[in-house]
Amino acid sequence: MAYQKGGIQKNTHSTGSGQGTLSDYEDMVDENTILVQRTLRSGQSIRYAGNIVILGDVNPGAEVTATGNVIVMGALRGVVHAGASGDEKAVVMAFRLQPTQLRIANHITRPPDNENVDPGLPELARIRDGVVTIEAFYPGGERQGKPV
Amino acid sequence: MGEVIVITSGKGGVGKTTTTANIGTGLAAMGYKVVLVDTDIGLRNLDVVLGLENRIVYDLVDVTSGNCRLRQALIKDKKLDGLHLLPAAQTKDKTAINPEQMRQLCADLKKEFDYIIIDCPAGIEQGFRNAIAGAEKAVVVTTPEVSAVRDADRIIGLLEAADLREPKLIINRIRPKMVRQGDMMSIDDIIDILAVDLLGVIPEDEMIVIMTNRGESVVLDQNSRSGQAYRNIVRRLTGEEVPVMNFDENEGFFKKLKKMIGIK
Repeated sequence: MAYQKGGIQKNTHSTGSGQGTLSDYEDMVDENTILVQRTLRSGQSIRYAGNIVILGDVNPGAEVTATGNVIVMGALRGVVHAGASGDEKAVVMAFRLQPTQLRIANHITRPPDNENVDPGLPELARIRDGVVTIEAFYPGGERQGKPV
Repeated sequence: MGEVIVITSGKGGVGKTTTTANIGTGLAAMGYKVVLVDTDIGLRNLDVVLGLENRIVYDLVDVTSGNCRLRQALIKDKKLDGLHLLPAAQTKDKTAINPEQMRQLCADLKKEFDYIIIDCPAGIEQGFRNAIAGAEKAVVVTTPEVSAVRDADRIIGLLEAADLREPKLIINRIRPKMVRQGDMMSIDDIIDILAVDLLGVIPEDEMIVIMTNRGESVVLDQNSRSGQAYRNIVRRLTGEEVPVMNFDENEGFFKKLKKMIGIK
């Protein structure tokens, strides 16, 4: 049940450079989002029917559960569950994506044992072809170039 | 029918969780079916010490509140087939379960496992009362410090009041050199105060820190003294007679060598 590490090169059916096209992220635009401006420590948890954006870290032992997407502007080291009511299109995005366990809809994954990889860049986890896949995420991209 | 043993201490940081992990691992390595139950809700550590944190989906509170079946919450160890963990919840607190639920849980686990080892939280409040509710035997862990011994004494009193007679004692983190210099309480001093049976003595050992941080158990390490001490404890728990380890490091090299080849 380990992650599939889909690298940049694997992400062929988008723009080729690895960046998602605008339409890829269009579904994510939703009014129903809360902003959490603090670090979640061990034992703390957030549940929300919608999207969650966290300005801070999610430490080991903390839990984030959303029916929509989860975005962490910091290190995500705890347990995260996006699309908790079964939405397979939900994504998890983090500045540093190192979760104890990552769940999307009814998929549960954990990082491989004895491996401590720090890619040093923001990453995005989503379900592709029925498998939770992690890919590099380049913030900005087209959004700055094209009008939304 | 299994046996339910609670590992407790009163004081925090004396090594309850480490002891639970090592006793459980040791029993499983001998071929017994073992389940470790972490009752430290809100401050769980046993999963981290065993290196199983990232496998947790359901926990103790999910089981007692009927959110999942017992079997779903049990996590199998990475290495030993006979070792299982029932993790505590982290986002709840001690009031999330009650002693009656623990009694029922222990009764259910007894049907399937040879040993049910319960890791008790520090303190004497509800967490402690939950942990001891289903237990048949108790092991008290202490260190050679006045404060830890004082708390162990209090705990032994509470265990006796709860009808857990004759708890066994583990003295952890002893430094033979300091004891010899008279700077640390000796095993005899502690037994003198607490007046309970000694289950074992574990010497202070860096290997414990190293192995614990790696999510492994020192009991499987054949070379360390603490590993040997834990293996002795495990054998005593199963009813074997094992002499207490000799901590005398003072003896010379030749004496040791002679002992090794058996000419005393």
